[in-house]
Amino acid sequence: MVFEFMSRILGRKNRPGSKDLAKERLKLVLAQDRVDISPQMFERLRRDLATACAKYVEIDAANMDVRFDSGDRTLALVASVPVIGTKRDSYNSRRRGNMG
Amino acid sequence: MNGKVMVVTSGKGGVGKTTAVANIGCALAVRGKKVALVDADIGLRNLDIVLGLENRIVFDIIHAMEGRCRLRQALIRDKRVQTLFLLPAAQSKDKDAIMPEQMKELTSELADEFDYVILDCPAGIERGFKNAIAGAGSALIITTPEVSAVRDADRIVGLLEAEGIEEPKLVINRLRPDMVKRGDMLDIEDVIDILAIDLVGVVPDDETVITSTNRGEPAVLDGVSRAGEAFRRIAARIEGEDVPFLSMEAPSFWGKIKRFLGAGR
Repeated sequence: MVFEFMSRILGRKNRPGSKDLAKERLKLVLAQDRVDISPQMFERLRRDLATACAKYVEIDAANMDVRFDSGDRTLALVASVPVIGTKRDSYNSRRRGNMG
Repeated sequence: MNGKVMVVTSGKGGVGKTTAVANIGCALAVRGKKVALVDADIGLRNLDIVLGLENRIVFDIIHAMEGRCRLRQALIRDKRVQTLFLLPAAQSKDKDAIMPEQMKELTSELADEFDYVILDCPAGIERGFKNAIAGAGSALIITTPEVSAVRDADRIVGLLEAEGIEEPKLVINRLRPDMVKRGDMLDIEDVIDILAIDLVGVVPDDETVITSTNRGEPAVLDGVSRAGEAFRRIAARIEGEDVPFLSMEAPSFWGKIKRFLGAGR
């Protein structure tokens, strides 16, 4: 019990303040508020972006992270798209195929 | 006279709009300015009781607008500060009783007589908000360091921009220095960083705001109130003075004792 009590006190001390989380959450939600885009529209944007990327590289669409980010009343579309492999080989072989 | 018409707004309710209007208006009047405070929250009249003028209302804003009395008759002079006046909201009507066009006329008529016309905007972004901002040339946005209030303030900035009210100024209300120090409350810089508008003042969370409101006396009239001092500085900045921001250090042991003695008066 003493240990629990101690660790609770220490744990509290070591835990980062809740304000960083507040700021991070606010920034994300405000970016979304400011673009004023519907969830359906956003999903389409995400899908189109994945399709576009997939034309050139092999991506992990399930794990891509697309969001709006804001600062100083400006907006940015930020996408992190995991690349599994390049398509150089298949691209080159297709080209060869066309020429042949 | 060609006075400034300023709206005090927040989006979210309960962040201290009415208190801010009463205190900033009172502080400006103490500085010798002629100030008219307009309660634009039709149906939820509050500014009168915060100012301690609730027993002196005969006519209200709707009476004046409908021509049932002259505007001058509806204005209540403050009992302590001779240059402070209140135009009370109607309690029996609702927000649809006014059109933005009428509000524009009324505020411009007041601006002929007063240095400052300060509008207490209702919470929300509907009709009452649109009425309150209709005649305003500038805006003060009140927020508290909480995610919900800051989010709503951001929405208000956008809506004001769309209405052509540029460069609203920010007041951060009810800041708790002890919580900021622990990293458990959004700091002044965090809020400015997020909203990206100019800061005009920071008001610490202060019990004297509640006790002074209980008495119907704005905290700016209380010499020891920290919040009162913060509001006086906001008034000075509105007047174009360059005054330093109130220190937001967590109160020391002695500071607490001093405050205890001050509050006990």
